[in-house]
Amino acid sequence: MPETVLVIGGGPAGLEAARAIATIGGKALLVERRAVLGGTPDESNYAALTPRMGSAQEALDVLRAGVVDPNIDVRVETTVTGCSGSVGDFAVTLTGPAGETKEHVGAIVVATGFQHFDPGRETQMYGYYEYPDVITLPDAEKMLSEHRFVRPSTGEPPRNVAFIQCVGSRDRRLGNEYCSKVCCGVASKEAIEIRRLLPDTKVYIFYIDMRMYGYWENEIYWPAQEQYNVTYIRGIVTEIVGKDGRLLMKGEDTTMGRPLEVLMDMIVLSVGMEPSRGTRDVAGILGIEQNKYGFIATPGEPMDPVSTNVPGIYVAGAAAGPKDLEDTVGMAGAAAMRAVGAVRGLARSEAAVTR
Amino acid sequence: MPIPLNVLDTRREAREERGPAVPPTEDVREKVFELEAKGEWLVQRVPDPWIGVTTKYGRIKKIPIARTWHHKSCGQCGHIPGYSTAIFWLIRKLGLDYNDPKDQTSCTAWNYYASATSNQGAQAAVAMRNFGAAYESGYFPMIHCGTSYGHYKEVREELVHSAPLRDEVRRICDKLGKPFVMPEEIVHYSEWIYAMRDEFAKRRVLDLSSIDVTVHPACHYHKLVVEDAIYDPDVYGGQRTAVVSSVVTALGANVKDYSTWFDCCGFGFRHILVQRDFTRSFATLRKIDVMREEANPDVVLTHDTGCVTTLDQSQFAARAHKPNVGIPVMSEAQFAALAMGAHPYRVCQLHWHSTEYRPLLEKMGIDWRERWREFEDDLERLKKDDKAYLTWEDADA
Repeated sequence: MPETVLVIGGGPAGLEAARAIATIGGKALLVERRAVLGGTPDESNYAALTPRMGSAQEALDVLRAGVVDPNIDVRVETTVTGCSGSVGDFAVTLTGPAGETKEHVGAIVVATGFQHFDPGRETQMYGYYEYPDVITLPDAEKMLSEHRFVRPSTGEPPRNVAFIQCVGSRDRRLGNEYCSKVCCGVASKEAIEIRRLLPDTKVYIFYIDMRMYGYWENEIYWPAQEQYNVTYIRGIVTEIVGKDGRLLMKGEDTTMGRPLEVLMDMIVLSVGMEPSRGTRDVAGILGIEQNKYGFIATPGEPMDPVSTNVPGIYVAGAAAGPKDLEDTVGMAGAAAMRAVGAVRGLARSEAAVTR
Repeated sequence: MPIPLNVLDTRREAREERGPAVPPTEDVREKVFELEAKGEWLVQRVPDPWIGVTTKYGRIKKIPIARTWHHKSCGQCGHIPGYSTAIFWLIRKLGLDYNDPKDQTSCTAWNYYASATSNQGAQAAVAMRNFGAAYESGYFPMIHCGTSYGHYKEVREELVHSAPLRDEVRRICDKLGKPFVMPEEIVHYSEWIYAMRDEFAKRRVLDLSSIDVTVHPACHYHKLVVEDAIYDPDVYGGQRTAVVSSVVTALGANVKDYSTWFDCCGFGFRHILVQRDFTRSFATLRKIDVMREEANPDVVLTHDTGCVTTLDQSQFAARAHKPNVGIPVMSEAQFAALAMGAHPYRVCQLHWHSTEYRPLLEKMGIDWRERWREFEDDLERLKKDDKAYLTWEDADA
């Protein structure tokens, strides 16, 4: 019986799951679609992590170092293209630079993550594909990682910037009724970074309601207002149009109960999370259930947030729904334990029967 | 690192790499066919040949080329008759078969949107009565009015999701002796114009390269049942409906942007009935003034009855104190017909429009004085002859 656990996805969840498997004496086969490990935080150029502003790349380097282990076989530019069998002996087909290979693994951890919501599908009129100065949280993150926050249309620093929250989240019309959990914190963090970089730039955050989980309230939300003078406005922005080379933002100030029209130099859309293409593809290949939003379903919740409906297949991180990094890494450890436990438990049972 | 100037192209490429997104709304057409399979109603198929166009979430909508049953607009026929005449003229120019029915009823949706009069059953029965009439004729319904079009799509949703409503309306149709039938697609005339725009471009006789156009997308076209409206990634990045704008571009004229494009024309249904000053102010201050200031167009094109009349006729009121207004307004059908050589009075009937349009005709290369003289001659002939109205033979004489 193969003891190896296949870990699909080389982002924070996959890296931590592989590391944890090796730590408890198991063997991991880690496959990653891209040529480098790091997942969405790397692909989307995350700069500073919320809430403590630590370097994202340094954090990823720690995770990457964790999989440099003789018990972890890392294969980049490799995807899973077929799967058969059951817990204890899954036969998986991997497609990589050397072509197709067949591997036998005892259990599988799915860590295929999320992708940022495409604001072109937003039912509001935000013009992401019309106006260069309408950007997304990851677009802003990329600029902040380069310490250069400017209007894409002119290369000049903006005089004012507005964040619009809940773009692609908490939207029944889109079918994304869920909160993506991290956007309020990330927007507030980016607002602080912009204020640090450009002290003369005014920064506004337009929100339905701010959702600052756990310690983020004190670590991000209040400092943004009290130390960095970020202005929070409860309101709904419905439309962005170009006017005089700037962006005219239209909507409603729901506290004051009146319409608003404000000219901005830049607007940042706080895009939420959706299942990545890899998550959708892998769910089909492995035959595991997805929930109504396309994330991997975890029917054992709340006490078992990592088991899928297929015995021996587990999920970690944002493949199972919106997660922050702390949740992701914690979930990866739990999935690793379950996966190794499933293989060893089965082996013990078979050994007992043989005796 | 320099900021790439092709930032929007890069975003679009990245969007394609993400793979197809799941549309956030159901495809109601699938439900329409499921109900047919259960024997609940008939489905009238889009006749061949048809053209596939892309709607907001990437689905394909079938637009029939010919054998169309023309559901006309009360406001077009009553206020701007050159609108529907131009549509028919375009169809005839392409040599296509169509049906101009005499037994179509008003959709009654203006009442509904203005004051919520009528009731759900009556509204749906009117729609199904008209669909039944189209089915009996063997021609496929094409809706001229944006409001009828949007309303019928809302009615389709209601009928699909409510068995009691279907039962009620089926009984009414039985009493009327009409078949209970839902068209495979609900098609607006501007979708047909969009689908046929290259055919018009081939037949264009005027050089429109100096004509600047602002487009007003009709609310009842793109804000009701939004997923069924036509979008094109190459038109405003796929963020605004592509109808009208694509036609302008195909004809060689220039689309000019303005910041209040998403706003209503001012018609507002209720406002035009009970608060007309609001309508007039909105149309001129929020739309025409802004267009003038930001784009200074030669003409405003739109694709619905209320929009043409409101944007056009409101300027008459504003002219009393604002000499700066005065942008001609017409439908894209009239504009395309003019580009293909249609008579501005016999066909497009611009004399029904209140804002000064003659400088536009001159800029388009149309000798309006000569065309008006011909039209006056027509009227003299009508007075002398037994003939009560001009015919298609007169239109292209």
